[in-house]
Amino acid sequence: MFRNQYDNDASTWSPQGCIFQVDYASEAVKQGTAVVGLKSKTHVVLVAVKRSPSELASYQKKIIRIDDHMGIAVAGLTSDARVLSNYLRTEAMRSKMVYGRALPVGRAVSAIGDKAQTNTQEYGRRPYGVGLLVIGHDDTGPHLYEFSPSGIVSEYYGYSIGARSQSARTNLERNFERFEELSLQELVVQGLRALRDTMPQGKQLDSMNTSIGFVGMDTKMTILDGDGTQPYLDQLDEAEAMDTE
Amino acid sequence: MTSIGTGYDLSVSTYSPDGRVFQVEYAQKAVDNSGTAIGLRVKDGVVLAVEKIKHSRLLVPQSNRRIMTAGKHIGVASAGWMSDTRHLVKRARDEAHNYHSVYKADIPAKIIAERMGMYVQAYTLYSSVRPFGVSTILACVDKDGPQLYMVEPSGQFVGYRGCAAGKGKQVAKTEIEKLKLEELTVREAVKEAARIIYAAHDEAKDKLFELELSWVCAESGMLHAHVPQDVLADAIQHAERSLDEDDDDEMEDEDL
Repeated sequence: MFRNQYDNDASTWSPQGCIFQVDYASEAVKQGTAVVGLKSKTHVVLVAVKRSPSELASYQKKIIRIDDHMGIAVAGLTSDARVLSNYLRTEAMRSKMVYGRALPVGRAVSAIGDKAQTNTQEYGRRPYGVGLLVIGHDDTGPHLYEFSPSGIVSEYYGYSIGARSQSARTNLERNFERFEELSLQELVVQGLRALRDTMPQGKQLDSMNTSIGFVGMDTKMTILDGDGTQPYLDQLDEAEAMDTE
Repeated sequence: MTSIGTGYDLSVSTYSPDGRVFQVEYAQKAVDNSGTAIGLRVKDGVVLAVEKIKHSRLLVPQSNRRIMTAGKHIGVASAGWMSDTRHLVKRARDEAHNYHSVYKADIPAKIIAERMGMYVQAYTLYSSVRPFGVSTILACVDKDGPQLYMVEPSGQFVGYRGCAAGKGKQVAKTEIEKLKLEELTVREAVKEAARIIYAAHDEAKDKLFELELSWVCAESGMLHAHVPQDVLADAIQHAERSLDEDDDDEMEDEDL
């Protein structure tokens, strides 16, 4: 991709039948640090690498709670993520107020997908520069969705977005058939193994830069940071050690 | 690249000197890059089939549907951008609902096709928006019998007995033309639709794909529904067998 006359706005098709502004927005997603999502029969998990702008600064939040039964992980422009997560929270609340029930996850993601699509069709607006992995548990079980700037949402057994996420996806593709029967603990460790593959040389996952989120049957949306992640990171080390033996 | 507009193709509100609106033609390219979608109108119903190309084995099967329902009795299959499709289906649902509030009857096929066509066409008029990058195939059974329409990115909508859009549309159209559509039943059409999708699928280019199949007929209570699992399995078996037979035929020719 390079500068061309079709890439100025979201309301111009290129001769090849694509919209460059949307493709560029997807590049913004690839700039964010990696997040991995995966699900079993009963739970769905998010793990993320957090980034900090400097030694003195705190780490950027990657996993956001939407409701007791739903959460998202973000990669890309965090401010766009805020807008979308506020919208999701409002919709989740509205569902409880109007219908007296938790917002079905599939509908929630369709709603933001449609919201994103209007940004790809009108002049003067830009596509959202953020990709989301949305997890949730409703009457139809645990779900994992990917939301992308084009407005396309897809449901997965496991997926990863962000920088170097292809390594994580390869790891997930090799292992996803085993996820169904795993316990929550095992699922988190499995996610961390995939996440580890996205780390650059010399960098490690530690309790400062790792974030874990999960939700499931009888488990409210929970986010772990800092010391809360240490037990899982220890398990990850044990599992890797067993592999190399 | 066959048609590059050089200067007349940057905005949908510009004609080229030879009377073409290039932005609409580029939107059509987006449709041609997507997985094949076909519709078959037969004796006792309508069948829709889509070649859902999967970019990852991690995708959950039978989710991420490309065939959607509007107004309960109308099936909408699409080729092109899924997010644009959802926008259009939302509109179709509003139109169906609106018609029902005013006329207290289910919206007829040619009316919904017209409304969709007009809506899509409106997005080809102003430079502040872009044309939809989808061709939608509408399937419906109303009081005039089974109906099939296709709405293209230009807003043009035409009634068909059989139609195809997407990557494999040439192969699909050739196969559809060989069928005697007025004589087939939906049960037979479902098998033929599956076979055609498998034939149109390019194994070399896109390894992973999933067949999505739906119908509107007496068996579904004249409502639009995805075909039952056993019908789907049956159709897939039929399609795979035909592919194998074709391969055998080719091998025989080589022996000669």
